[in-house]
Amino acid sequence: MSAAALEVVDLCKTFGGLRAVDSVSFNVPSGSLTALIGPNGAGKTTVFNLITNFFRPDTGEVRYFGASLTGLEPGRIAALGLVRTFQSARIFPGMTTLENALVGAHLQVRAGPLRQMFWSGQSRREERALIRRAEALLELVGLSAERQVPATELPMGAQKLLEVVRALMARPRLLLLDEPAAGLNDSETAELAALLRAVRANNITVAVVEHNMSLVMGVADQVVVLDAGKLLASGTPAQMQSDARVIEAYIGQDEGAADA
Amino acid sequence: MDQFIQIVIGGLLQGSVFAIVALGYSLVYRVTGIINLSQGAFCILGALLTYSLDQTFGWPVALAAVGAAAMTALVGLAIGAAVFVPALSRLPISSMLILSAGLLTLMEGLALVVWGSQPYALPSFSGEAPIEFFGVRMTTQGFWIAGTAALIIFGLWYLLMKSAAGKALRACAENPLAARLMGIDVPRVTLASFALAAFIGGLGGIVVGPITSLQFDTGRFFTIFGFIAVAIGGLGSFLGAVVGGLLLGVVLQLAAGYVSSLFANSLAFGLLLVVLLWRPNGLFASGLARRTDVREEQRIYPPIVRLQGRGALILGVVAVLAAIALPALEPSASVMSSLVITCILFVALLGLDIVMGYAGQVSLGQAGFMAIGGYAAALLATNYGWSPLAGCAAGMLLSVACAALLSLFTMRLRGNYLALATLAFGLLVDSFAVGLTEVTGGPSGLTGIPSFALGPLVFDTSIKMYYLLIALIVVLVLLLLGGVRSAFGRALQAVRTDQTAAGALGINVARYKLIALCISAALASLAGSLYAFYFHFLSPDMVGTPRSLELLAMLVLGGEGTLLGPLLGAALLTLLPTIIQPLAAYKTLATGALLVLAVRYLPGGIFGAAAERLRRLFAARGTSSSKAEGR
Repeated sequence: MSAAALEVVDLCKTFGGLRAVDSVSFNVPSGSLTALIGPNGAGKTTVFNLITNFFRPDTGEVRYFGASLTGLEPGRIAALGLVRTFQSARIFPGMTTLENALVGAHLQVRAGPLRQMFWSGQSRREERALIRRAEALLELVGLSAERQVPATELPMGAQKLLEVVRALMARPRLLLLDEPAAGLNDSETAELAALLRAVRANNITVAVVEHNMSLVMGVADQVVVLDAGKLLASGTPAQMQSDARVIEAYIGQDEGAADA
Repeated sequence: MDQFIQIVIGGLLQGSVFAIVALGYSLVYRVTGIINLSQGAFCILGALLTYSLDQTFGWPVALAAVGAAAMTALVGLAIGAAVFVPALSRLPISSMLILSAGLLTLMEGLALVVWGSQPYALPSFSGEAPIEFFGVRMTTQGFWIAGTAALIIFGLWYLLMKSAAGKALRACAENPLAARLMGIDVPRVTLASFALAAFIGGLGGIVVGPITSLQFDTGRFFTIFGFIAVAIGGLGSFLGAVVGGLLLGVVLQLAAGYVSSLFANSLAFGLLLVVLLWRPNGLFASGLARRTDVREEQRIYPPIVRLQGRGALILGVVAVLAAIALPALEPSASVMSSLVITCILFVALLGLDIVMGYAGQVSLGQAGFMAIGGYAAALLATNYGWSPLAGCAAGMLLSVACAALLSLFTMRLRGNYLALATLAFGLLVDSFAVGLTEVTGGPSGLTGIPSFALGPLVFDTSIKMYYLLIALIVVLVLLLLGGVRSAFGRALQAVRTDQTAAGALGINVARYKLIALCISAALASLAGSLYAFYFHFLSPDMVGTPRSLELLAMLVLGGEGTLLGPLLGAALLTLLPTIIQPLAAYKTLATGALLVLAVRYLPGGIFGAAAERLRRLFAARGTSSSKAEGR
């Protein structure tokens, strides 16, 4: 087995009386595409928020390529190459599509503010290189015609793709995508799937929270199933599709009380 | 001991008024999430209306007070219905804050037009003879103040906690969307709370009127001390507003009684900063913990407009050539002087645009930094023989140090705190400029300041100063343009609209806010120094809080986040009163009105509207000839 990009160990988080995440442990192997699935309220997004320290876990630990992330600010975590997107596309209003993509490369910029102000050659070369890379990525998701359009004018699906592009501009080692396909139409979903395969081909590890089963089954190497805050099962997509517990979690809900 | 008790009672009375203002703040904040800076203006409106009804129309004072309170509530209702509530769903919080600052200026301007600039005093409600018990003397007005405060507190508590209307109001505060789904008319409840806050503020102003000197612009002191009270107590908490108000009143009176009133102002400001640092949510925090992974404001941000490529270059060259050629038209001395002032203010506005237009942090203390720069450079050049340039540099260093300190106290806080900390800072600098008479010359100002000079080059005429400023502006604009078109500017804009997402991409939000505020302070300071060198004179009212608000209006009118736009705003608001002299009396009113209108209806300012039109034009042409312009 290859080394783990991410080790989630015994993570717990309680909101009031609700055990949103209950002793969850799983690994994301380096170079893999791991999908986190589960019914609504299973705690998938909370797990992401705990990994990136938007919430502090009650107990448990997250290790990223062997190093603990405990107590690190979200900005520090991004600097380590662990970049996330949000469930609701959080593109920056007031900026164009291209500029939004370029914000993602913030940590890649070597020339400091002073050099930028003095229009230094280094800064301008860097800027041109970033624009080329951003345009290539926008091309890949079919957004290059809209690169000078205010990003808020893009349809929801395009905004979500743009957010993935923005995260990729940061040159992540591990990419966390929170429901990237929600709100995407079929052709956009296909573009997303192509993008995800391209990402993995470039040796970037991906963990994705997703509801779209055909996308998950089509691109994931490993599937982790959560239900009511607990880890239910994990394995290959094929194994999960035939796992009785997983099927029950999705279909047998109205009998149980597991809908939190 | 008697003196001590006397002072404490005085403090409690003053504190009651702060508490009343603070309650108004909390009420509006609870329902809308906005700190309404115009709160203090309602106090002064109520008091001045009472004066007019009593003295001019001869109403008995009690009737005048009731009438004035009702009229204040009506004014609140009108402003709320016409401006505040409709803007709520359309503007980001920072713009709402600017809007409320505009309302404050507008109401001050209105008071200036109606009542003039002289101070007024209300007669006491029940005679001037003090009452004495246990050796402590107390004016009868004190009972009116304490009684009114108690009545307001009880009334508000009853309304909020015991009545159906209060339940609706609390529901709107907790979750506006859910409240709307339950059939509550959210805009109406918001409007009611805004008018109620105005009414409460009016009452506070009316009862404190007899023991305060009332002037058209006293409102901003109610605004700032009321805010400090509510920040100490905890924004949105009603108990906090009362405790914070009383505490602030007592502390201020003790400091003023035993040390000096100058010290009291510094102490109030210091108290604010300590509370912000030690307990950002105040003593009685009411705020709900909000999820940070969901965007907190679903509001519309106007796009930051910029002209790109060749078009911008041509426009820039034409503008610079026009500026150089302008004196050839032989403008009158007063117009030439206005041009110089426009340029000086534009230097300060460039900084303000970085911190507000790009980083989205509202700063209301820009004139405070101008004052630091002005006084530091003037004093060093006049009394210590420093060269003007070294004086400017010293002022900038001092201003940046102050900005860094302010930023240190406020950077962990979201939203409105920087605005209020900078407003308080501006007023503090103001009170030092007035109070430290032996250093600054006090209200009558500092005279005998030399002209600006670079070595043997002395800039002693308007023309010379004008060309110096044009050169300086070209350099500054090029530097800032280099910054904002690159990663630096993108980081600032990301911070402006979504701090959480910016942080998740590795942008150090606090650091960028700090840098933006420091740039802004440095440029304001430079502008202040040049201002002093140009006039050979500096007085507190040249660099006071009205100046900060005027700069704000210029920025918003010209266009936030456009770098060059504010020049239009500065030119308009400086040249118009010079060319059309009778306008001068209406300047404050016009500043406020333009600020409100621009925030509400002209999101990109004049520059933004023009650039957007150009962009549309080029976009239409670009698609027909399929020639898209890159960067």
